[in-house]
Amino acid sequence: MTTATAHPTVAAATTPAWRRVFYATLESEWRKLRSVKSTMWTVAFGVVSTVGFGVLLTALEVSRWDHRSVLEVTGFDPMLYSFAGLNVAQLVFGVLGVLVMTSEYSSGTIRITLAATPQRRLVLLAKVTTFSALIAVVSLLSCFVTFFICQAILAPKGAGLSIGQTGVALAVVGGAVHLVLVGMIAVGLGAAMRRTAGAVAVLFTVLLIVPGLVSLLPSPWNNDITRYLPNSAGAAMSAVVRFPNLLSPWAGFGVLALYALATLAVASLVLVRSDA
Amino acid sequence: MIEAHNLTKRYAKTVAVDDLSFQVQSGQVTGFLGPNGSGKSTTMRMIMGLDRPTSGTATINGQRYANLRFPLRVVGASLDAGALHPARSARDHLEWIADSNTIPRARVDAVLAQVGLTEVSHRRADELSLGMAQRLGIAAALLGDPEVLIFDEPINGLDPEGILWVRHLLRSLAREGRTILVSSHLMTEMALTADHLVVIGRGKLLATGSVAEFIERTSGHHVHVVSPDASALVSLLEQKGATVIHADDGALDVTGMDAENVGIITASAGFTLYELTTTQASLEDAFLELTRDHTEFRVGNDVKVPS
Repeated sequence: MTTATAHPTVAAATTPAWRRVFYATLESEWRKLRSVKSTMWTVAFGVVSTVGFGVLLTALEVSRWDHRSVLEVTGFDPMLYSFAGLNVAQLVFGVLGVLVMTSEYSSGTIRITLAATPQRRLVLLAKVTTFSALIAVVSLLSCFVTFFICQAILAPKGAGLSIGQTGVALAVVGGAVHLVLVGMIAVGLGAAMRRTAGAVAVLFTVLLIVPGLVSLLPSPWNNDITRYLPNSAGAAMSAVVRFPNLLSPWAGFGVLALYALATLAVASLVLVRSDA
Repeated sequence: MIEAHNLTKRYAKTVAVDDLSFQVQSGQVTGFLGPNGSGKSTTMRMIMGLDRPTSGTATINGQRYANLRFPLRVVGASLDAGALHPARSARDHLEWIADSNTIPRARVDAVLAQVGLTEVSHRRADELSLGMAQRLGIAAALLGDPEVLIFDEPINGLDPEGILWVRHLLRSLAREGRTILVSSHLMTEMALTADHLVVIGRGKLLATGSVAEFIERTSGHHVHVVSPDASALVSLLEQKGATVIHADDGALDVTGMDAENVGIITASAGFTLYELTTTQASLEDAFLELTRDHTEFRVGNDVKVPS
């Protein structure tokens, strides 16, 4: 039988710099993400949703181009149709973000994670960073792909946008940032609530149910509140036409980023204060 | 060295760990013994910085766990063999743990070989048997080649061969001068594995000392006597300073006097004996005796173990 001194051995611990601890935690979290096949399948599903729904709805709109009502024609934003899939993708990436934290609680690995890295804020930061980086890369890719396909579909009607037009490139990037920020909110919800079902329920309620309820409020409250909801703030980032019920792209970014920061702040408090 | 100073963990209604102090020295296996629900796991989680003590402190080589950077190079632990992501392979499980503390990748292969899991390292965790998961947990604990090792019930789910393997592993780790804390609710297993014991019940320290001392102190010998004149013998033996702890149907259990003296006294008084035996209470009896009033869940009113 081999003994525990089986070589190679590990050098005795000195006190490594914080930066080294953080890099190691990032590497560990990245390995966790990619070593589970379902992560990558879910990411792929998010990409397909973004591209697929955008292309589908844009093509449908083009097919009934001459039969649209006056309201539809005046209120037409090519980006709104191109990025229709973001509404689905944000839910897909949202569930994945929740699972980044909650799967550690349901499987019990959170205790190994926090024993390996007792600096809990660092663990949360590393999880948010790796997950956001993954979502950022795939979202940027899928948003640009979607944009170019959809504008090509709209081109025969002379309604397509060019990437060089004012605010257009920003809107495409905005679509990706929207998904990244929703992902961050999801990781925060997962860390704060620890349970998959609860965190997903809250996320879906905020993204799907609350907008419907708010729209039932008497005017002008409905529009005044709606533009500050995460969904609308996110949509504002990728809109090109300025609708009255949407914030400006940068204001939308600010509002959604605040939601993300607030959720992560609560998550950090819960993670540091509670028993693992 | 692991030190617990007045560790206390109080939940809303219950006290899981109650003013617990003990030391775990290097170079030996320390058995952490107590009935189910006595606070062993909670204590271990507090040592590992996972649960926050209500009061008191726990230190490892004089430092609090939470202050360690790359702690796996100093402390390795296997607290729950089931703590695995079901879809992640055994190797990937060890690799993310290794990455978190910049432990060289070669150690992953080394510990897989050490626990005998090399061949199944590509399997998903949900395809591992409980025994394999237990070995994987031990492998994870050994990854950082740590000086301090903590195992919570490591033999759960192991077959006899696995139990023997764990026993040898713990003993050899201790021989290398490491500090080993291993919990169990099985006294007999600890008697074979541990050098030193920390016994708790309902979160309180009940006994601490070497295994030999523990056996000496807690397991009383008694002399079993069978005689047709048993009732008359009771007064005679008690007169000579023995204590009769049990008398039933012509049989006596006597303490405070060894078999030789019982034989001499009864022979000189002319009694007939059918049987004269020294009986040693089993370790399990001794453990039950010690923890009798400190057991969370009891079966009936009186737990008796058939000898």
